[in-house]
Amino acid sequence: MVQSKKQKYLFLAFCLIPTFIMFSIFTLYPLFSGLYYSFFEWSGASQTREFVGFDNYTRLFNDGIIPATIWHDYFLVITKVIGIMIMALFIAVALTQLKIKEAPFYRIIFFFPNIMSVVVIGILWTFIYNPNLGLVNSGLEAIGLENWTRPWLGSETWALPSLVLPSIWAGIGLFMLLLMGGIANISKSNYEAARIDGANEWQQFWHVTLPLIWPQIKISILYIVITTLNGSFIIVQVMTGGGPNNSTHVMGSYLYQQAFNQYNFGYGATIGVMILVISLITVILLQFLLRREKVEY
Amino acid sequence: MKRTVGEMLVRSGIRLPLFLWSLAVLYPIFWMFLGAFKTNAEIYANPWGFPEQFNFDNFVTAWTDYNIDTSVFNSLIVTAVGAILCLVLAIPTAYALERIRFKGSQLLFTLYISAMMIPMVLGWIPLFFLLAQFNLLDNIFGLAIVYAISQLPFTIFVLTSFMGTIPKSLEESAAIDGMSPYGVLWKIVTPLTMSGIITVTIMNAIQFWNEYFMALIFLQSSENYTLALAIDFISNEAQYTNAWGVLFASLVFAIVPVIILYSIFQRRITKGMTEGAIKG
Repeated sequence: MVQSKKQKYLFLAFCLIPTFIMFSIFTLYPLFSGLYYSFFEWSGASQTREFVGFDNYTRLFNDGIIPATIWHDYFLVITKVIGIMIMALFIAVALTQLKIKEAPFYRIIFFFPNIMSVVVIGILWTFIYNPNLGLVNSGLEAIGLENWTRPWLGSETWALPSLVLPSIWAGIGLFMLLLMGGIANISKSNYEAARIDGANEWQQFWHVTLPLIWPQIKISILYIVITTLNGSFIIVQVMTGGGPNNSTHVMGSYLYQQAFNQYNFGYGATIGVMILVISLITVILLQFLLRREKVEY
Repeated sequence: MKRTVGEMLVRSGIRLPLFLWSLAVLYPIFWMFLGAFKTNAEIYANPWGFPEQFNFDNFVTAWTDYNIDTSVFNSLIVTAVGAILCLVLAIPTAYALERIRFKGSQLLFTLYISAMMIPMVLGWIPLFFLLAQFNLLDNIFGLAIVYAISQLPFTIFVLTSFMGTIPKSLEESAAIDGMSPYGVLWKIVTPLTMSGIITVTIMNAIQFWNEYFMALIFLQSSENYTLALAIDFISNEAQYTNAWGVLFASLVFAIVPVIILYSIFQRRITKGMTEGAIKG
């Protein structure tokens, strides 16, 4: 383009600066300032903000609820990764490899919960788990397993595992599509070569499909881990609010409770720093673990 | 012959779980619609079946007595303002990052993209006080700004990849004809990126319409509630008020626009989300 340097920089500034200012105010500044707040004792009113050094961090390490919240987050991460990946992989293979004519219908249906509001999902599933009216208990009674019925979300043992199913229910669709995209890119000749070598369908899946969609599997696992660590508290907040007796609190819901219900904003920010650190470490470790030679046939 | 029987068995063995899972997805949603037409007595007596007769009382009650009218209006405003603001901020930046060579371009792009992976929950505490200082706390426009910025990295990412597919020659010839870069951006690039703009805007709009947690933090008075908050409120009160039918009716209000958008733009939405996940 024919234009002077000055004009170019003016245009560049026009394009970049307003957006960057907004991004700095509403994303960068809050993140860094959260880090800063974690060194203060603060109940919200500006006069009472008091610098306390690492006191909040000492409190964090001595807070008995914190290890439980971390464990709950990882419990959700692990169960979601296993549940979603097995189901999404099964559905993706079934819908692409077998010529089922209703495949597009299933694809559209299975994806839909991915764009439903967490509030809708949470309230629907709270009903499904309802001890008196809910589908789960009525279903168990119908097949004669009365003594398996329980107040799912009201039980300290069962509340957290009960949150897994809605998360899987709402999450499968996206990963099914990701994996289907990977499978669609595998060339037919790979399967033909495997068939000539006498591989049955199961061996084909294990030795052709799986290694060739490894990049998609890796991305899916990383994505599930990141979104769970950064956002599991939303479904927790809607379905149990962290209860009963803290048995479902995850790091984010505990932060919300400390900061916005009990007005310990400094301590809340400290929990936020912990979430940031834990999720970064997890992602880096995971990328290292999932490293695998790229397969090309 | 034997082989085809075996194959049929395998196929039905695979079809059955697919069919069951589609029931597991559809039935709860379907049941939510049924519940909206039931009276409370029916919900208790026959929670999972059809209503005896379809009546719209729950919708009317939700709309008039439970402030759903106000919160639908608030949600519409937040969604529209958030989506438009996000575009206004993202289009010029996406264009500059994709087309203009300058020092730090890669760094800036990486900065925006890595913000997609950072847990924003840490930032919400300072953001709460920042909004209070700007008098934007408990204000739907404040929420709309927060929403717009929260989707900014994703929007920039999607738009740069769409802009990368436009041939450069069009911009070059327009510039030779004497068009200013502002004109090129507004009259050439924006129309050519329309497909990407529509995709990302639909996805942002669904996101904003559905969003719950930031609304919970940044809105306080019930006349400012978005639909998600109003529903959460009704749900928490329902154990005392027993307004289950009303709760279902308001869930229907929340989900119908999403169903409509999904049925029209299904391909765009799925494509946009998978691509976003692959890079994000």
